[in-house]
Amino acid sequence: MFSEQAAQRAQTLLSPPSTNNATFARVPVVTYSNSSQPFRLGERSFNRQYAHIYATRLVQMRPFLESRAQQHWGTEVQIKKLCELQPAEKCCVVGTLFKAMLLQPSILREVSEEHNLVPQPPRSKYIHPDDELVLEDELQRIKLEGNIAVSRLVTGTVLAVLGSVRDDGKFLVEDHCFAELAPQKPAPTLDSDRFVLLVSGLGLGGGGGESLLGTQLLVDVVTGQLGDEGEQRSAAQVSRVILAGNLLSHSTQSRDSINKAKYLTKKTQAASVEAVKMLDEILLQLSASVPVDVMPGEFDPTNYTLPQQPLHPCMFPLATAYSTLQLVTNPYQATIDGVRFLGTSGQNVSDIFRYSSMEDHLEILEWTLRVRHISPTAPDTLGPEGQTVLLVAVPDFSTTQTACLVNLRGLACQPISFSGFGADEDLGDLGP
Amino acid sequence: MADQLYLENIDEFVTDQNKIVTYKWLSYTLGVHVNQAKQMLYDYVERKRKENSGAQLHVTYLVSGSLIQNGLSCHKVAVVREDKLEAVKSKLAVTASIHVYSIQKAMLKDSGPLFNTDYDILKSNLQNCSKFSAIKCAAAVPRAPVESSSEKFEQANLQVSSDTNHELSTNGHGPPTSKQVSQQPKGIMGMFASKAASKTQDTNKETKTEAKELTNASSAGSKAPGKVNVMSNFFGKAAMSKLKVSLDSEQAVKEEKTVEQQPVSVIEPKLAAPTVLKKSSKKVEPVKMQQKEKKRGKQLELSDDEMKETENMKKKKRKRIKLPEPDSSEDEVILDSLGAYEAESPSPPPPAHASPPEPAPKMEPAPPSVKSPSGENKRRRKRVLKSKTFIDGDGSMVTEKVYESESCTDSEEELKMKTPAIHRPPAMTVKKEPKEERKGPKKGAAALGKASRQASITGFFQKK
Repeated sequence: MFSEQAAQRAQTLLSPPSTNNATFARVPVVTYSNSSQPFRLGERSFNRQYAHIYATRLVQMRPFLESRAQQHWGTEVQIKKLCELQPAEKCCVVGTLFKAMLLQPSILREVSEEHNLVPQPPRSKYIHPDDELVLEDELQRIKLEGNIAVSRLVTGTVLAVLGSVRDDGKFLVEDHCFAELAPQKPAPTLDSDRFVLLVSGLGLGGGGGESLLGTQLLVDVVTGQLGDEGEQRSAAQVSRVILAGNLLSHSTQSRDSINKAKYLTKKTQAASVEAVKMLDEILLQLSASVPVDVMPGEFDPTNYTLPQQPLHPCMFPLATAYSTLQLVTNPYQATIDGVRFLGTSGQNVSDIFRYSSMEDHLEILEWTLRVRHISPTAPDTLGPEGQTVLLVAVPDFSTTQTACLVNLRGLACQPISFSGFGADEDLGDLGP
Repeated sequence: MADQLYLENIDEFVTDQNKIVTYKWLSYTLGVHVNQAKQMLYDYVERKRKENSGAQLHVTYLVSGSLIQNGLSCHKVAVVREDKLEAVKSKLAVTASIHVYSIQKAMLKDSGPLFNTDYDILKSNLQNCSKFSAIKCAAAVPRAPVESSSEKFEQANLQVSSDTNHELSTNGHGPPTSKQVSQQPKGIMGMFASKAASKTQDTNKETKTEAKELTNASSAGSKAPGKVNVMSNFFGKAAMSKLKVSLDSEQAVKEEKTVEQQPVSVIEPKLAAPTVLKKSSKKVEPVKMQQKEKKRGKQLELSDDEMKETENMKKKKRKRIKLPEPDSSEDEVILDSLGAYEAESPSPPPPAHASPPEPAPKMEPAPPSVKSPSGENKRRRKRVLKSKTFIDGDGSMVTEKVYESESCTDSEEELKMKTPAIHRPPAMTVKKEPKEERKGPKKGAAALGKASRQASITGFFQKK
């Protein structure tokens, strides 16, 4: 682990100055390839009907699901389309799930029930005991009942269900399965430790002084300014830093210019301008020392819908001078030193969290992998074959001052947190 | 001795200047490796405490190591006050590093000021923030920022002419990134460039060789790269373009055989101070004369003489322009003041002269005002409005107001300046600097002239 390795070298800094100070070279990136091309949008058109997206998904997923179904339930199981179903016949159907949710906020409902209606207040979860699951395939849909956890599943999941049609037209489910993880290429073994630092939720522009010091400490550790020689040497093994979204704070999103009168807002600049300047400086410090990938998040100035396009380089005049800075999409996929990374800035997980009963974000992450779908609720809202996957849910830096160090050798993760000291002097500072 | 020096330095910073000395701040200030800075701080603390145990020193430390939390090993990095150091150390399962973070005289309530100190010193050293760090990254090479910035300015200047697009491709970097980078300065430059544009647009009207001028300007610009002070670069370039414009207009003028203009334009960008002033005033004269009394032989003679001089000067000037920025500072000053009026305060020449004479007012007020501080009284030929009385054909006496060339000194010239000249037809084939042309009509009101003159004098000193 990072700390243990750092502690291996003797401490030298509590002593008179010596002329020879060690300098460590940053580990060179052995292999890096960015596979986020599918996420780059060419031309943007909003004419796409959602139905097309769902249909494409189904077509692509069908073969995987069929093979999985045969694995689970034997090769003789009949795989049928909805239109071919015979009553009381046990078979397997592959389709997309749709969950009819009572509490789901619907724009149509808001618009149609005119003016006097108060819009539905935002809730943390929109699930309701009366929700129903419907399976849809290319042509038909059918209600699902039975051995299936309605609350856990979300709209958009493609799965295979085993069961039979009842007389009342509903499908009685005996079992269901997902596509599970795709076959994995074995990652090459690394001879030395290499770390990738994952940070999320820097929350610049939010006005929190504590997080600024934490951010500065983070940058200092990564760039090798802080710490003793041992730590600096370990820090030199951080081969990449990935900033996963929400670089700007929620408070920079204020849309004063729309609500306030023009004469009040004329000379004021958006809060995000200052925040972006700070971000530029931080990125400059980082890029001067380590390759950085910057992913946009919910509150960052880029498009709102997934896939979010990279932030524009003109916002970072200082940092773009360095080729080590890479502005990438959200979601982001890359292969770093043989390990395939797939990350998002969290909007998909929080969305799933809202629409299902799954509580743990890690559980949700795992589930997305099993379903082979990063974001099933969009556009609406590891494995069985020995694949090794490390799921990392990165905490929000602005509140926790914590980032994640992933060791590519062995896929282990260690949180790294930073703190200063405050007026209230309890050692709770070092607590969780 | 050398190692004692840093102790004294730290002592001075902490005790006398009452600063918060963080290791980062010390590292940048003394230009040493960060680890060495940390060691220096430690050494200082130890010695100071040995000498004088009651020393007013508060120290903060950086502690890092692993902490077992919920069964998970979490790496912690914390800045702590000295009194909490031991407590924190004991909590850590494995201690990775401890070192002095900062020294200050007063006790710190929270770590805010530490951050501020670090932030401030970092801001002033942004470009080489990794210089004293313990990790060097081979892959992090800045993309030739100096060249790119000079290219940016070049492009901004060239923006005025249509054939600038090819310049973008000369950038070594990928086009999109360079576009982003250059678009930003273009935005800023756009403001100046638009002013330059209005200037040069006038020249466009007059000069056929505008493109040539601008490409010359760009070549002049590109010949002066590597200037650290980008802003002066900018001014230099703007001045350059003006210079070039005038120079090329001179050339065109020559071609057009309206040589009288040359002295004016040639003189204008002259780099030597007194001579500039002198010549610019001289320029005024010939312009006026030439405009009004082309027919008068005198002017031609004079201008011929002057032309010869200016030919030489021009040659000299040509050479000088290619020199890097420092030489042209003088020129910048003058031209800048001219530019300033043109670009930023088109008001002294009243709005009436809005579009075409815009470049000109700058020229006009400048030369006369510029020449006044020169303190030189040169004999000049000037056109003076005089009433001539003569007996015409019928035998009656006629009194006419006529412009006549006369040699006179400054004061008289000023007087003359006040009298508005008739509108020089802009269609004058003189391809010279529109400024020169406008000089006549430019001098609309006396107050106007005075105001702009006045302004340009102070402008001269301000720019210095």
